[in-house]
Amino acid sequence: MHCYLWRREGHVVDSGRHIWFTQVLRLNLTGACMAELKISPFRRTQVLKSQIDEMLDVVSQGALTYKHGILHYVRHGWDEAVEQKFQQLSAFEDRGDTLRGAIGQALYTEMLLPDTSGDVLGLLGFLDRLLDEMKHGFMVVRIERPKIPAEFHDIWIECVGLAVDTVEQVVVAARSYFRDPQTARDHIHKVHFLETEADEMAIRIMEQVFQSDLSLDRKMLLRGQVWLIDRIADLADDAGDALAIYAVKRSV
Amino acid sequence: MGLTFFVFLSSGLFLGWSLGANDAANVFGTAVGSRMLRFSTAATVCAIFVVLGAVMSGAGASHGLGQLGAVNALGGSFTVALAAALTVYGMTKIGLPVSTTQAVVGGIVGWNLFSQTATDLTALTKIVGTWVAAPILGALFALLLYGLTRRLIDRTKPHILWLDQWTRIGLLVAGALGAYSLGANNIANVVGVFIPASPLEDLSLGVFTFTGQQRLFLLGALAIGVGTFFSKRVMMTVGKSIVTVGPVGGWIVVMAQSLVLFVFSSQSLEAFLVRIGLPPLPLVPVSSSQAVVGAVCGLALAHGFKGARQINWAVLRNIALGWVATPVIAAAISYFALYFVQNVFEQPVYQAAVAAAFELPL
Repeated sequence: MHCYLWRREGHVVDSGRHIWFTQVLRLNLTGACMAELKISPFRRTQVLKSQIDEMLDVVSQGALTYKHGILHYVRHGWDEAVEQKFQQLSAFEDRGDTLRGAIGQALYTEMLLPDTSGDVLGLLGFLDRLLDEMKHGFMVVRIERPKIPAEFHDIWIECVGLAVDTVEQVVVAARSYFRDPQTARDHIHKVHFLETEADEMAIRIMEQVFQSDLSLDRKMLLRGQVWLIDRIADLADDAGDALAIYAVKRSV
Repeated sequence: MGLTFFVFLSSGLFLGWSLGANDAANVFGTAVGSRMLRFSTAATVCAIFVVLGAVMSGAGASHGLGQLGAVNALGGSFTVALAAALTVYGMTKIGLPVSTTQAVVGGIVGWNLFSQTATDLTALTKIVGTWVAAPILGALFALLLYGLTRRLIDRTKPHILWLDQWTRIGLLVAGALGAYSLGANNIANVVGVFIPASPLEDLSLGVFTFTGQQRLFLLGALAIGVGTFFSKRVMMTVGKSIVTVGPVGGWIVVMAQSLVLFVFSSQSLEAFLVRIGLPPLPLVPVSSSQAVVGAVCGLALAHGFKGARQINWAVLRNIALGWVATPVIAAAISYFALYFVQNVFEQPVYQAAVAAAFELPL
């Protein structure tokens, strides 16, 4: 490994010929020394902070993509627009995996946040699982293509909206955790509220589905779909519980 | 004369090594214990600033210790330092933070008893008083710094990563200040007993002159510097055993302890207090172990009842036992060792005619 300490370009005229040259002073470095020079601690902190912010953005955007995709599917069935949303969500999920890995590696190799790195990684793990869960739910819709009867459209959309709101509220709480752990708790109680609402809505849908005249196989199919939506809210609630503990631990 | 002096000084250098191995833990223990700083970084910074502090500002506390008893023969200086060093070494070996100040004071009192020199009770009371004052001041500084830091963090709300970054820098700066103050304050423990008998003379190096006392301090400080590289085990005891301290808490502890050492060694602060009509704090070597334990307890108490419950009282009790045992053990070792050096090795350990003088012309 080496780096340039000094570099100069120019030309000389020798016997009427122009000769271009480059003068270079190089410093050979060991790998460890190169790593020290490559990035300053302040730059490294800035990069890592950007990655954490991006991770939170990715989860929030993934949740919105999931919501719009499912709403469009409920109203119009699986078409090009829904397929596009699914691809977008897959890309967000991939990005989430990459970011989580990069952040974890940076935290441990650089020995950053020695007392809270486990909590930060735990939180990012929850957020990544939320992306996985949303993608999984969307993929099952893509495979099974369940037909949702018109009388369930509104309540179905409301349930998806509540599950996604729960995820978004977790993202807001996570943002607070990184700057002001005291206020994180103000957001976490909203997560619990929204999760309870999502649970009640899911139960109401399942009750109505099983009281309807649909065939048993369709009832079972729809129940599975509702469970998948509700699992997103449940996972967001688990993330909220963990976040509440992480916030308490983050005191001077 | 030169070689003899260095042979006798070896016990002081051993004591310096012991002090470095033990007290560097007080300066950087919480930083290394909370994994904010690598041990190698902490030890290097500590060694450099200990040397600077000792050479540049070591005179004040040395004068205070000299009032307790002027060990006026090289054999006596050697034996007193050896007694203190053995006490510190033994207690460091079993992983207890031990006060070098108390070991040295014990050693000097042992010499006073052996040479039948009356111990200056005023000086002794002043020094023992700091044994009580240092932890209390450490706790007060920690409480004050906790309040200020908490307010600053609540107001600025830094991102967790930036807080981490600034805390690392703060720990390094506070540790450097602590190491400087440690050198300035505790160099008296290491070579203070050699000052009356030291043959080292002033050395002119062009623009500035290196006094004989500064040359002696430099030798002692280098020994402390080497000792810091052997302090990992005690660092972990200080950093983790007493109470669980986070990185910001670690900064508060290091800063509080550094301030305690600073106020007991700064001649400028003493002059300032006199100028504004306040009573000056005595410039005597204080125990950095006591200061750091006080600071850690102050930090825990800042969290109220919940924090007080977190304090590992068993470790504190062991440390307190060490405080009582250290001067007694050192005095006993000093007394018996002086007997052997005088009667077995036939080395003079005191000069009767001069032994009555307490005050050192420093």
